[in-house]
Amino acid sequence: MSTTRRILLGLSLGSALLALPFAASAAPQVGKPAPAFSATDADGKTVKLEDFKGKTVVLEWTNHDCPFVMKHYGGQAMQALQKKWTAAGVVWLSVISSAPGEQGAVDGQGANRLTQSRGAAPTTVLLDAPGTIGRAYDAKTTPHMYIVSGDGTLLYQGGIDDKPSANLEDLKTAKNYVDAALTEIAAGKPVSVKTSKPYGCSVKYAS
Amino acid sequence: MTRLLALLALVLLGLPSARAQGGKPPADLVLASLVAEPAAIRAGEPFTVGIRMVMKPHWHVYWRNPGDSGLPPEAAWRLPPGFSTGPIQWPTPSRIPVSHLMNFGFENETVLLTEVTPPADLAPGKPVRLAAKLDYLVCERECVPGSAELRLDLPVAAEGTSTGANPQNRALFAQARAALPTASPWPARLSAEGNRLVLQVEATGLREDRIRSVAFFPYSETAIEHAAKQDVSVDAASLRLSLARGSASEATPAELPGVLVIEEETGDGTVRNAFAIGEAPAPAAVPAAASPTAAPEPAENLTLLSAAGLAFLGGLLLNLMPCVFPILSIKVLSLVKHSGEPPGRVRLHGLAYTAGVLAAFLALAGLLIALKGAGAGIGWGYQLQSPLVVAGLAYLLFAMGLSLSGVVHVGGRLAGIGDGLTRRAGLQGSFFTGVLATVVATPCTAPFMGSAVGFALTQSAGVSLAVFASLGLGLALPFLILTTWPAAVRRLPRPGAWMETLKGALAFPIYATVAWLVWVLAQQVGPTGLLAGLIGLVLVAFAAWIWERAGDAGPVGRPLGRGAALAALAALIGLSLSIDRDRLSASGVAAGAGGVEAFTQARLDMLLAERRPVFVNMTAAWCITCQVNERTALATDAVKAAFRERGVTYLKGDWTNQNPEITRLLERHGRSGVPLYLLYSGAGEPTVLPQILTQGAVLAEIERLPKPVTDRSASLGQLP
Repeated sequence: MSTTRRILLGLSLGSALLALPFAASAAPQVGKPAPAFSATDADGKTVKLEDFKGKTVVLEWTNHDCPFVMKHYGGQAMQALQKKWTAAGVVWLSVISSAPGEQGAVDGQGANRLTQSRGAAPTTVLLDAPGTIGRAYDAKTTPHMYIVSGDGTLLYQGGIDDKPSANLEDLKTAKNYVDAALTEIAAGKPVSVKTSKPYGCSVKYAS
Repeated sequence: MTRLLALLALVLLGLPSARAQGGKPPADLVLASLVAEPAAIRAGEPFTVGIRMVMKPHWHVYWRNPGDSGLPPEAAWRLPPGFSTGPIQWPTPSRIPVSHLMNFGFENETVLLTEVTPPADLAPGKPVRLAAKLDYLVCERECVPGSAELRLDLPVAAEGTSTGANPQNRALFAQARAALPTASPWPARLSAEGNRLVLQVEATGLREDRIRSVAFFPYSETAIEHAAKQDVSVDAASLRLSLARGSASEATPAELPGVLVIEEETGDGTVRNAFAIGEAPAPAAVPAAASPTAAPEPAENLTLLSAAGLAFLGGLLLNLMPCVFPILSIKVLSLVKHSGEPPGRVRLHGLAYTAGVLAAFLALAGLLIALKGAGAGIGWGYQLQSPLVVAGLAYLLFAMGLSLSGVVHVGGRLAGIGDGLTRRAGLQGSFFTGVLATVVATPCTAPFMGSAVGFALTQSAGVSLAVFASLGLGLALPFLILTTWPAAVRRLPRPGAWMETLKGALAFPIYATVAWLVWVLAQQVGPTGLLAGLIGLVLVAFAAWIWERAGDAGPVGRPLGRGAALAALAALIGLSLSIDRDRLSASGVAAGAGGVEAFTQARLDMLLAERRPVFVNMTAAWCITCQVNERTALATDAVKAAFRERGVTYLKGDWTNQNPEITRLLERHGRSGVPLYLLYSGAGEPTVLPQILTQGAVLAEIERLPKPVTDRSASLGQLP
C-alpha cells in the first residue's frame, strides 16, 4: 500500500467516524424536538415549521402514484382525516420528496391540481424535490406520518395505520394511528402509540 | 382486484402521470406458480410445496422483513378439509438499496417453501386440489401490488406405494433448500452500546482474511436501521456486528433473531453462507411484541442445572467403566488394608482423591477451552485425536494390567503407577490416584459423554467448567462416601487372599480397554503405525518383566536387566514418535467417529490400489462453507447409509493447520483452498463435487458409483 493510499484510507476512516454520530442522530426521536425546516409550498410561499408554533402539525409524505397512497386516497380515507383535523385547527402538511423525474414528482400547479381532483384538504403541500425535509425526518415510505406538538416536539412517527397493505379492503378494519394520536392530543392525553413501522413505497429520493 | 382499482383510479382521476407504472399489469412483472415436491401424496405424510416467483429483470419482491419499505408476499391457502400448512420457509434475502434506503428481498427468482400436511384419513384415488391466493408487492423503483390465484392438483397414492419425488421439480427444490439459512451452530449475544446494538456471534476459528462480507437481516422490522452500515469485526473467538439501533425502537430487545449472511473466500471463488440466529418465530403466529419478557436467563440456568445434573450422573456411571473400575477397586483395597487408620485421616484421603479428580477434569476442560479460544476446531475427546495420547494411554493401562496380573510384583517401580500410589500412605498418593482415575477415564468419557460435554463447551467458560466439575464430583462420589463414613469401610470384607484373586480378575477389564484403544489407534494411523503401536505393547511387557527379573538378579545381572528395561522404554518413546509420523496429517479430525478416517495420501493410495470407492473431504475448522456442507449434506443419515451401502471409505483431511500433503492434493485439482470434495469410483480419475453440497447432489453422485460386488464388510472404512 502506498503512503498516499494509506493516508487516504486513514482520512476516509476518520471522516466515517466523524460522520457516524451525525448519521445516527439524523432520525428524529419521538419526545425530542422535531427538525426545523423551511420549504416552498405549492403556491410558491415559504413555509417554516416555526410558523405554526402553538398548533399541532401533521406531516404526511405522499406520492400520488404509489399504490399505498392510492389506497388511502382511493378509499377517501386520507381526505376525510385531513378534513376532520384541519377543521379542528390542526395544520396538515403533505410533503412530496420525489426527486425530479421520479414517480410522484410534481410542480406547484400539479400539486394543486392533485389536491383538487382528489378532494384532498391539506393546509398546504410542501415541495421537497431535493429531499432535504425527507432526509431530516428520515421519511422512508409513502405514506409516512409525523405529528409535531405546538411546542415543536415530535409526538408520533410511523405508519398511517396497522394494516400494511395496498388493499382497499383493509381500510375498514385498520386502526388509524394518526387519528388515534390526534384524538389523544386534542384531549390533552399522552399519545399511547408513539411510533410504528411505516409501510408503503420507498420515498423516491434522488439516487 | 387491486390491479383493477389501481387502473380505475388512474382513469377516473385523469392524472397527468407520464410514468403511470402503478397501472402496469403485474402479470408481466411476476410469474407465480405452485409446485409440489412429490409426484403424489399420501395420507398423513407431510410434503413440501413451493410458491415460485419469477420476476422481470431488476424487479424485486420482499423478504419477511421487507426493510425500509415494501411488503412481504402473503399466501392465503384454500385447502381440502383436514389439510394444514406450516409457515413460509423464507429463503436468504439480499440487500436491495433504493437511494439511501434499504430493502430486503429477492430479485430474478425465488421459491417460498411451505410444508403441507394431509389428513391421516385421506382416501387414495381422487386427486386433491391445493389453492392459494398470493398477494405481493413487486418493485423496481416504483411499486406495483399484484396477486395471483395458484392451483395445483395432486394425485393421492395408496398407502404402502412409493410416492417419490417429482423428477421435474427435483432441481428446483434442491435449489430452494440450498437458499434457506441453516441453523446457526454458534450462540449469539446481544448488548446495547449507546445507539448501537452489538450482536456477538461466538463463531470460533473464523479467519478475517477469508471473509468477504457479512450482512445481518433481523426479523424485527424496527430493531435496527436497515440502511445503516453494519460494522463487522472478526477474531479467533467471535464475530462482532455493530448495528445502528432503530429510531422507532424503544427498549433494547433481549435478543435479535435474524439471518446472518457471510460471504467467504474459498478455494475457487466466493461462497455465500446463511445462518438463522435465534429462534425463528413463526410469522403472524405470535404477535412479535407480545412477549418481550422472555428473558433468556432462567432458561440458561435451567439448562445449566440439567446439564450439570446429567454430567454428575454420567460421572457416577464412569466408576463402573472398565477403565476406571479397576483403579477405584485398588484404591478401595488399600483402604481395606489401612482400615486401622484414624477416621479423620481416611476422610482426608477421600478429599484428596476428590481434589485430584476435580483438578484433572478442570485442567482438561480449561485446556480445551483455551485451545478453542485460540481458534482450534476441537471438541471433547480431543485428547484422543492424537495417536500419541491413545498409544500412551494404552501403554499406561497395559502396564497397570500387567501389575494386576502379577507380572510385576508390588514394589516394582513400574507397578508403582497403579498399585504403588495406593500404597503410598501420603495424601499426595490419594490426590494422584484421583488424577489417574480421570486420565484413564477419558477414553470412556469420549464415547459416552461426548454430546453432553460437547453441549457444555458451547456455553460460556464458566458454565463449561461447572459442568466438568459436576462430572468430576460424580466420579469422585463413591470413594468420597466410603471415606466419609468409616463405618462403610468396616463393612467391606477383611483383607485376605481373595484380594489377590480380585486383582487378577480386575486386570481383564483393563486389557479390554487396551484392546479398545488399539482399535481407536487403528482408525488414526496406517498399518505401519499400528504395528509400531503393537510392538510398543510388547516393549512395555518386556521392560516390566526384565525389570522385575533384575530385582532378583546378582550384582552383574541387576544393572544389566535394569539397563535393558530402560533401553526398552527408550525404544518405546522412539517407536511412539513413529506412530505419530504414520498419521502424517497432523489434524484435528475426529477420526474414528461416524465411519470417518483421517486422510493420508498413503491411505488413499492403498484404497485406490484395492480399487475401492473413496470419498475425500478436505475441510478446515475455519472454513464455514465446509462446516455447513458437513452438517447439511455429509453427516446426514441418508448420506451415511449410502456410503455404507456402496462400501465407500470416507477420508477427511483437516487443513486447519498447514498440511503439505493436503495442499498438494488441492493443487492437483486446481484449488488453492478448501473445501474440496472428491469421489473416487475405484477406477480412474475422481469426480470433483461442487463447493456447495446438497444432500440430493451427494446422493446422486454416490448412486452413480458401481454397485459393490465384493463383501461390503471388507471395507476398512466401515465401523461397526
